[in-house]
Amino acid sequence: MDPLTLFTLQTLNALSLSALLFFISLGLTLIFGIMRVVNFAHGALFMLGAYVGVATQTASGSFLLSLIAAPLAAAVLGLAFERCALSRLYAREHSAFLLVTFGLALALTEAIRLIWGADARQAELPDSLSGIVFVMDEPFPIYRLLLIGAGLACALLCWAGLQRTRLGLLLRAASQNPTMTAALGNDVGRVRAAVFAMACALAALGGALAAPLLSASLGLGSNVIIDAFVIVMIGGMGSFLGTAAGSLLVGFAQTFGNYYAPELALGMTYALMIAVLVVRPGGLFGRVE
Amino acid sequence: MRPADPRLVLLLIALAGVLAFVLPGHATTLLTEALILALFALSLDLLVGHARLTSFGHAGPWALGAYLAGAMMLSWGVPLPFAVLLAGLGTAALAIPIGWLCVRTGGVTFAMLSLAFAQLGYAVVVKWNAVTGGSDGLAGIPRAGLPDVLAGREGYHLLVAVFLAAAYLVAHGFITSPLGRIVAAVRENEQRAEALGHDPRRIRLTVFVLSYFLAGIAGALYAGFAGYVSPELFFWTVSGHVLVMVILGGAGTLIGPMLGALVFFYAEHELSALTESWGLFLGLLFILVVIFAPRGLMGLVRRTS
Amino acid sequence: MTQRIARRPLAALLAAPALVGVGTARAQGQPLKIGVPTAMTGTWAALGSQVVRSCRLWQKAMNAEGGLLGRPIEFLFEDTQGTPANCLRKAQEMVERDRVNILLGLMASSEALAVMPKLAEWNALFISSVNGAGSITAESWVPNAFRANTSGPMGARALALWLRNSPQTDFFSLSLDYSWGRSSVETFEGLLRGIGKRSIGNVFAPVGTRDYSSFITRVRQANPQALYIALTGDDGTAFLRQAAQYRLFERMPVVTETVDMLFTRPAGEAAIGLVGGSRYSFAYDIPANNTFVSRFRAEYNDLPDTYDGEQWQACEVLAAAIRKAGSTETPQVVAALRDLELNSIKGPLKIRACDGQAEQQGFVVRVARREGFPYPVPDVISTFTAAEVTPACRASNFT
Repeated sequence: MDPLTLFTLQTLNALSLSALLFFISLGLTLIFGIMRVVNFAHGALFMLGAYVGVATQTASGSFLLSLIAAPLAAAVLGLAFERCALSRLYAREHSAFLLVTFGLALALTEAIRLIWGADARQAELPDSLSGIVFVMDEPFPIYRLLLIGAGLACALLCWAGLQRTRLGLLLRAASQNPTMTAALGNDVGRVRAAVFAMACALAALGGALAAPLLSASLGLGSNVIIDAFVIVMIGGMGSFLGTAAGSLLVGFAQTFGNYYAPELALGMTYALMIAVLVVRPGGLFGRVE
Repeated sequence: MRPADPRLVLLLIALAGVLAFVLPGHATTLLTEALILALFALSLDLLVGHARLTSFGHAGPWALGAYLAGAMMLSWGVPLPFAVLLAGLGTAALAIPIGWLCVRTGGVTFAMLSLAFAQLGYAVVVKWNAVTGGSDGLAGIPRAGLPDVLAGREGYHLLVAVFLAAAYLVAHGFITSPLGRIVAAVRENEQRAEALGHDPRRIRLTVFVLSYFLAGIAGALYAGFAGYVSPELFFWTVSGHVLVMVILGGAGTLIGPMLGALVFFYAEHELSALTESWGLFLGLLFILVVIFAPRGLMGLVRRTS
Repeated sequence: MTQRIARRPLAALLAAPALVGVGTARAQGQPLKIGVPTAMTGTWAALGSQVVRSCRLWQKAMNAEGGLLGRPIEFLFEDTQGTPANCLRKAQEMVERDRVNILLGLMASSEALAVMPKLAEWNALFISSVNGAGSITAESWVPNAFRANTSGPMGARALALWLRNSPQTDFFSLSLDYSWGRSSVETFEGLLRGIGKRSIGNVFAPVGTRDYSSFITRVRQANPQALYIALTGDDGTAFLRQAAQYRLFERMPVVTETVDMLFTRPAGEAAIGLVGGSRYSFAYDIPANNTFVSRFRAEYNDLPDTYDGEQWQACEVLAAAIRKAGSTETPQVVAALRDLELNSIKGPLKIRACDGQAEQQGFVVRVARREGFPYPVPDVISTFTAAEVTPACRASNFT
């Protein structure tokens, strides 16, 4: 394999990883930006997405349907949780959210084990997506290209949604100044509920998209959440652009780091985060809190 | 919140210590571990409750203290009390540069920076096989240099209780000292404290180092207790658990987090013995506590009394 | 106070004969408690559930026959979440509170390594069914610990013996960067030299790796004739699925230290063709095993997997030792375990006295699509004698 081919392949690898990471961290940063909540249950929601996705596909035979069912289930759960628990806590300190979302993560993980058992679950990709294309004579999975596309589409959609729609305007306003937004006659409570449900849906969509690569298993949640935290911090809590940049940075750092310096790869993302936060405490695109 | 009467707290710790001679053996062993965790939670309360710096990497000093003490006792037979103190000091020494970088920030950034340092510690321990035993950890750590009376189950329990009492006195002494009041002032209004001539970064660093020192002591006591240290001690779930203990008990009260540690520890232990689905119940319990007991268990205690 | 002291000898005298009588009767009727602190939740939960269900089945079978030495079997299961701190606490509590002196089913090697130094102090014994780390019967060995299962080095050895006749000569190794993975690769590379083949490199992925694309590219770049992997559980599944998506298996055969349906089953079609050592498989065509498999399927409507079989074998080893000792006390059972011989579901087995390792046959399997199974399953392609696959005493490699 010549250096150019290697570089191209690894870039594609990194982009597909970044896309997956983007789905998880976007929800996390949305929740933080609008609600000032650090959501510990985000990893468990990602895992829920993988399980619901696999179960849907096994039952219906449709991969596409699994990509609809997983976010839907998570959104419903998120909405219920926001209404029943989080909404009572907005006047309280940060630490309340830590504890309450930690509780959700614990309970949700166990609920998943009770429903689907301890063994990993999987479903095969449909033939149309399990093929390969040749990139400079090297095979590359079509599914990974699809992931890159999905990540890009999600980013563009969210970006347009935030910039161009009334809801987006409201979201940005609520993120900047919730009291003022409420004073102007907007129902901030409803905005928060919508955001939380949407963020849960994004995490679950990420889980459903990751399932063909990883299968659905119980360790999924705790593994992925730290990466998501790192990305959100690097990008800047609550910053959409920052999350996109953070996902790319971590995706590329992991892919190329694993290739050139696997010995250092374990600590690399953390070192990266420390470096960014020491230089810019608010993250690359964030404001200092 | 007004801190509890220190005499009462010391009495409770003394009681917990003496319980070793009443309880059956296995219950004493459990209580020893619970007291070590209480010391760990106490150390975090200085940061979270008193300086309002929510650390999400307290597994770092805990594990570092455990590894330092473990290595000292295993390789050189350093007597346990010295090994514990030295491990605490070593942790505190490392806390100076780490703290210098962390305390410049606050809020979530601080939490994530402290997490990153703990995770880096995990990476170093896993990779530095020759010294740390890699992912296998260090096994067979002796309670070095202790007379048989103290090395036994009851003796070690008493030793832990004494360390806990001392740590509590240090922590209580600190927050009621002039310096401790300045910390509170910086927490409440940084600009005003600065105008009065205090350097907030320095002030916060002092709390940070003290907190890491005590967490290091707790970890070192754990190494002597378990006779075993492994990289899992560094893991972020440990940081999460101790943070939950502090919040559950009521941050800023010193006694609250210690009680929170006991409640968390026993709740998980007893629930997991009763049912495989302990996570479900523990999770729901946390959610209910947050909603119905805003100031943690201490708040609940205060309200009823 | 004085009264109580004065009365005590009298009371003791009165009670003594009665106590002796009750004591033996009790020992006969009282359940034999066996402690199983294992991972029922967390990353290792799937393995833990195998351990638990196999113990339950064995308990049912034993108690139907009237128990052991006339005592019914009673298991105490406790969840350790797979972390050494929890495992140590639960094990200690079983020993101190419930007077358990036999521990089975410890999950992570780190858990076993944390518990083993405590066994002497607790006057307890431990028979491993899961732990593969070579060190358990080498530098970390303690007299009260035994290993009924096939160790990691034994699996690698069986594989290497099978590879002697393979056309491939250049191998590349991939594993996660932790003790088991490192020692597995080290053992395998040593074995390669012994059979006149060579290792052209290795790479260790950081613990927690989920995306293997970069490592798959690395393997392709190295372009070996065959790939050795030491990955299991979720890691193994993730790698196999992703490698299949990159069509890696069309380039080179993949071999591994231990084939386990736990990770080959969720890998689906991607696992077809994988060759490796095997610790246990339902596919072993041994009469005792066929009986076990049909009994297991009748109970659970599922095929027994690696640790179902390994746990069953560990229970059988324990039963044989207790019968031989005529006692359940630690020193007697430990003495009986030394040089214990029996016929198990994996064929003839002997616990050697010097390090507690069970000498047993080594199997090599290939994952294939087979008639009557909904997913690809292992198929035995070669069997080696215990002498061929067991390392020397207290050694974890074969040099």
